[in-house]
Parts: sequence; structure tokens; C-alpha cells
Amino acid sequence: MLPVAVAVIALVYPKVFRLPYPQHVGVLVCMNALMAVAWNITGGYTGQVALGNTVFFGIGAYTSSLLLRDFGVNPWIGMLAGMALSMIAAVVLGYTTFRLRGYYFTIACIALAEIVSAIVVNTRRLGGAVGVTVPIREASLINFQFHGTNKAPYYYTILTFLAIALLVVYKMERSKLGYYFRAIREDEDGARALGVNAAQYKLIAFMMSALFTSMAGTFYAQYVMFIDPMSVLAQPVSVSMCLMAVLGGLGTLWGPVLGALTLIGISEATRVTLGGTGQAVDLMLYGLLVMLFAVFQPKGLMGMFGRLKARKE
Amino acid sequence: MTFEILAQAVINGILMGFVFALVAVGLSLILGVAQIINFAHGEFLMLGMYTAFWMWALFRLDPLVSLPISIGALGLLGVCVYKLITKRILDAPRLTQIFATFGLSIFLRSMAQFLWSPNSRMVQNSLVGDLRVALGKVYVGAPQLVAAAGAILAYGVIHWLVEKTEIGRAMMATAEDRDAASLMGINTEQMYTLAWAVGSACVGLAGGLLTTFYPVEPNIGLVFGTTASVVIALGGFGSIKGAFAAGIIVGLIQVVGGFLIGPAFKFAVVLVVYLLVVAIRPQGLLGKY
Amino acid sequence: MALLEVVNLTKRFGGLVANDDVTMSVNEGEIVGLIGPNGAGKTTLFNSIAGVYNPEKGKILFRGEDITQYNPEQACQAGIARTFQIVRVFKGMTVLDNVMVGAYLRSKGEADARNRAIEVLKFTGLYPKRDYLASALTIADKKRLEMARALATRPTLLMLDEAMAGLNPTECQAAVECIRAISREGITILMVEHVMEVIMPISDRIVVLNSGKKIAEGKPEEVSADPEVIKAYLGGKYVARS
Repeated sequence: MLPVAVAVIALVYPKVFRLPYPQHVGVLVCMNALMAVAWNITGGYTGQVALGNTVFFGIGAYTSSLLLRDFGVNPWIGMLAGMALSMIAAVVLGYTTFRLRGYYFTIACIALAEIVSAIVVNTRRLGGAVGVTVPIREASLINFQFHGTNKAPYYYTILTFLAIALLVVYKMERSKLGYYFRAIREDEDGARALGVNAAQYKLIAFMMSALFTSMAGTFYAQYVMFIDPMSVLAQPVSVSMCLMAVLGGLGTLWGPVLGALTLIGISEATRVTLGGTGQAVDLMLYGLLVMLFAVFQPKGLMGMFGRLKARKE
Repeated sequence: MTFEILAQAVINGILMGFVFALVAVGLSLILGVAQIINFAHGEFLMLGMYTAFWMWALFRLDPLVSLPISIGALGLLGVCVYKLITKRILDAPRLTQIFATFGLSIFLRSMAQFLWSPNSRMVQNSLVGDLRVALGKVYVGAPQLVAAAGAILAYGVIHWLVEKTEIGRAMMATAEDRDAASLMGINTEQMYTLAWAVGSACVGLAGGLLTTFYPVEPNIGLVFGTTASVVIALGGFGSIKGAFAAGIIVGLIQVVGGFLIGPAFKFAVVLVVYLLVVAIRPQGLLGKY
Repeated sequence: MALLEVVNLTKRFGGLVANDDVTMSVNEGEIVGLIGPNGAGKTTLFNSIAGVYNPEKGKILFRGEDITQYNPEQACQAGIARTFQIVRVFKGMTVLDNVMVGAYLRSKGEADARNRAIEVLKFTGLYPKRDYLASALTIADKKRLEMARALATRPTLLMLDEAMAGLNPTECQAAVECIRAISREGITILMVEHVMEVIMPISDRIVVLNSGKKIAEGKPEEVSADPEVIKAYLGGKYVARS
């Protein structure tokens, strides 16, 4: 029942809210939810705290934008190219880091992301610190560009991406992959003793995560029409996607969506009520919430709802 | 000529390395005893720097004079964070521990931005501000020299505390095995508190010393925090000696790497070295596990 | 030909020799007990066979295949399943899901894996507790869950690392029954046990290690009468107490 209701609300949302701002918020929620769902595959299900997903987001954004700017390649093809490149990057990243455990792994991820950022900042061909402006094309679905104040086409595009990601994760949860991912999270040595090739499955998780994060990256570029290292390659981008998953509930299907809804809600609400100075207040609330949830409610919002439901029954 | 520039770079790198080392020793002490990486350690350093800055801006106290205040303030902060937050997640999964302190780091960073604006601020005319010592054609800035001296002194004190005193032995026993230590009659709760206090006081000191030659801004913790994590990982988690040595090495790599490849890459070079080291030795240079 | 052959195996940790030139074998269908005092090198030998350690000298052959340099997952895929001395159940997953992880190794699709898991749960008597979180089980049940999980991988050889340690006499008896039932299914068993009294009645053969070397091998009654074994054990107990 609940999923149907959620789907209906998601579908009619832009029909009810026709102003650009609420539609923009809807786009933000879906885009961030997509990134959080992607991160949840490695971080939540497989238990690898990979704080470097911004690399895949950046690859998605940069690949499609540069292909369009320099070679006139259609952004949809650019998106596929970005996804392929991200998967390759995930394999490279995985091979460099999968031997590392715990904190060593987390720090290695941060390091890799920072290195990629430094390379982009210092390469003029990639736009350097200035960034890349996405060339304007005629508004159409084929061109992956929709101008004007009606943001509904963007909204439906990203909603479709999110739905695909959720469907894949739903299928994964009930398959061998899902069982193996969780087994690796719970006890890697125990999983290996049952014939689970942990390194290989961690790599698969990484690649799945990279794929969807990269999709979100291309979408971001086509939506904002401008990218630079600060907005798509900085550490806070990596952190925010995993915070949403943590807040919503790690290793759950709907947790990341719920987390994105809550955090975007908070940040937009503070921005509206406090104006320009509110820029940092939303982050303060973010930080506080994440800290409180980690300490007092490690299963996230989903865990809280689960407990309420159990009490009712 | 190039030789002199290189020599200058090496000296600056080593001196900065001592500050990294001091920050990392604090982080390492907390990790070693209390078994948790404080991802907000860089933000603690930022608060240490702001403490020194405001002491100067409001009361005209030189950062070197207000050192006891910044050390005390950060020590107190460490104790509060332990008592209020990390104490509750000692036995929680690593994921929880990472996110609790990550959340704290975001909170502190944005709080600084909210309260004190994103602008970078600098202490003017500090006691040692414009002094420098000439060694032939190579110059050594007095603030850096004082900072390095402070770091060495602090490391000496911590080393003495950990290796030579009864409290230090109790701390190491707690680090080794909490349950066994508590059976031996050690108040492990006190040891954790102490580790957080001393570990955080380290960045209070580092912050005060840095303020004499380094501008402070809300995001400063990002670079220093990540560097400190890399330093302790390089040195091997839990090894205080390793952290100190790795800190100096990282300072050197940063400046020399920046000199050879370009200053824009100086942070990236350190990270590449980290990846190379853990690729060969997943447990860090001096790490046991 | 023996199912498992260990030939002149030596494993060092730094300067310490944990296994010194050990040769032993396990025949198809047998229950073999591997015993010895603390620090005898039982766990090292066990872990070398299970792929956790890669010994520098000697060979391990399983069904004639050289598995000396295998890693744990390869060993399991070859047909060697194991349990752990300190249990490593997947705490946050249900009992059924724990066994499902093992069952997937040789199953086609989810339904097949589920059937296999349920079959094993019924066999081991854990079926009524299938929906419990693994963390909620008693030690005895956790050890049993590890056995079930290992069985779900359809092993040829099942290796049990101190399956009785920490159990009370009633639980011990139940575990012995379970091991006998597994053996009747045609699965070969190699078990490490610290306490001799538990292992003697069910083993077909016993291998005794002391200070990394094999000092005796044979039927339980022969081994327990061996003066060198008695000496080693008395010495071992003495060391363990001091």
C-alpha cells in the first residue's frame, strides 16, 4: 500500500505544485535520493564506508559535459559514456583499496577523491578551477535539456532514474548479491569461509554504486548547466550522499529516500526562513542530526518507524 | 640558486611537519586509547585557532601568551565531546563511530561559518610575527621555529607521560585491553577522558602556535584533519611515535612534492604517497595491525 | 586415496615455527580428531587447510588437487567448509538468512537456495528459530548455526574448530549427536578439540600435535595409551595453569 501511495504522490507532485521553486525542490530531493541510494549499496548493504563517491559523480558530470562541449556528443550518450568510465574507475579504485580494512579504507577513499579533484583543478583542458559551462541546445528530451520555468520534465527524468535505481536495489536485496553483500558487512572472514569471494563482491557493489552516482552526475550537469570542482568533486558532496543514507536508515530500500527528503527539507526550510545567512545553519542542523542519529538511533528513521510499527502491533 | 630554493623548501617542510606531527599525535592518542578516530579533529584545530584569534582580537593577547587558554579550552572540549557523545558509542559498529564524529565535524564547521563568517582572518603583529633567522641565504621564520619547538616540547611531555608515568602505563593498559585493565583496578573511564583531554589539548596548542603565521577560516579543518588522518594511518594506527615521525615526513613530502610538481599538487602528493604506502603495507609504516 | 593429505607441512610466524613438518591424512567418510595441548599448532594447521594461511613448505592435497596456496573462499568452493572457534555468525541477519548465504554457493537461484537452507535448518534442529536474529541465539545455538551454514555449502569435508568449547554437558551431548548425524550423511569430518574426553568417543582416528610436531596418530584407544601423548598432555596442562 505505502509504495503505491508514495508513487502516486511522486507522480502528481509537479501537477499540484506548478511554481518553479517547489518543482526545483522536488528535483533536488530525487537527485540526492538517487545518490544516497547508490551510496547505500556500498555503505549500507556491503558495509564499506567509501567516502569517495564524489569521484563517480564528477566523472558523470564531466564526461557528458566535455563530450557535449568539445565534440557535440548527445548528453544521453555522454551519460552512458560516463557510466562506463565510472565503472572502470570503480574497478581501479576497488583494486587499490579492497585490501584495506576499516579506517585505512575510508581514508584511502577520501585520498583518491581529493587526488582526482586536484588533477581536475589543475588541468585547463578539463576546465580547471573555473569549471565547464554546458552548451545550450534546443529544449527537448533528446537533447536532455528543458529550459524555462517549468521544471517538470527534469523532475520526471530524475524520478525515472531514481525509480530504476530503487528497482535494481529491490531486486538485489532478494538475490544472491544482496545476501553476499550483507554477509560481507556482518563478517568478511565468515563470509569468505562460506565461499564468498569478498573482494569480487565488494567490487561489484562499488561498480553498481558508481553507475547510479554517475547517472546523477550527468543529470546535475544538464540541470544546472554549469559544473566546477567545488560543486561536483568536493569532499562535502561525498559526505552528503552518505549522510542521507545514514539518517534514513543504512541497508534499507527506502531509507536513503527518506533521508534525502528530510535533509533537503531541512536545508530548504532554513534557507527560506533565515535567508542568505541561513546557508550554514542548515549544515549545522545536518551535522547535529547525523551525530544524534548515529549515537541514539543508529538504524535511522527507518529503524524508528519500524519500532513504532512494532509497538502498535 | 635552485639549491637554495630547495633547501628553503625542505626547511619550511620540516617545520610545518612538526605542526602536522603535533596534530596527529593528539589524534593518535585518542585512537590508541579510546579506539575511535575523531573525524572532527581538524575542526578542533580550527576552534583552537579561533580561540587564539579572538583572544588577540578582543583582548590583545598574543597567541603565544594565550596558549594556556587555547590548550585548556580544547582540553575541556575534548572531555565534553567524550562524555556527551563518544562515550556512548565505544562498542558501536565502526560505521556509527565514523558518522558520529563526521556529524560533529560538519556541525562545528558550519557553526564557525555562521558565527564568524566564511572569511579568513589573520593575527597581525604577533610577538614573533616578522622575525626570521638567516642561515646563509636560507631564512627560517621565527613563528615556524617557535611552532616546531612547541610541538617537540609537547611531544616530549606526552612521550614522558605515556612511557614513564604510572598514569601512562594505565593508559596503555587500557588501550591494550579495556576489560583486563579494569580487572587490574584501572579506572578506564578516567583513562578515556584523559586521552580525549590530552589529545584535544594537542590541537589547542597546535592551533595557538599556527595562528602566529597561518590565517584561520572555518574550512581549515578539512585539510588539516584529512592530513592528520593520513599521517596517523601512515605511521600506523595507535603508534604515537609513528604519528610524530610520519607528521614530519608528510610535511617534507608536501613541500618538496609541491616544489617538484607544482604547489597546486602539494596536498595530492601526500595522498598519493599514502596510497602507495598502504598498497604495500596495509597496516601503515609502524602499525602492528 | 585419502580425501585430504597434508604432506611435510611447515608454517612459520616470524621466528616461531607453528607447524613443523606435519604429515597427516583424512580418509573419505572418517571422523578425525586433531588434538594437542595449548600452542600445539592445531589451529594453525586447521587454518592452513581452510586457506587462511599459506604455508611456506609442504603440500596440502584435497581429492588429489593441490590446495596449498588457496584462499578461504577457494577452499570452500573446493568442498571444504569450516566453523570458527570464536563464532562468526552474521549477527544482524536472521538464522535463515545466515544459512542462505552458505546455500547460495551451490544453488541455482533464490528458491533453490531457500530450499537447501530450510533442509539444513530442519536437519540441525534450528528450523523453529529460523526468524530469530543470529545475535539473539545462545552460544550453543550460534555454534550450531555455524555448522548449519557450513553444511549448506554442500561440503565434502567439514572442519569444526572447537565445536564443544564453552558448552554445558547437555549441549555437548546434543552437538555430538549432530556431528554423528552429519557423518552418517557421508560427510567427512575433521575436528579440532582441546579437551580429549569429548573427542575420543566419536573419532575414528586421532592425530596429536605437540609444539608444532605430530607426535601420534591412530585409533583413540591407542593414542590415549601412548606415553608421549600422556606426557605432552600433562606438560601442557601444567603450562596452561601457570
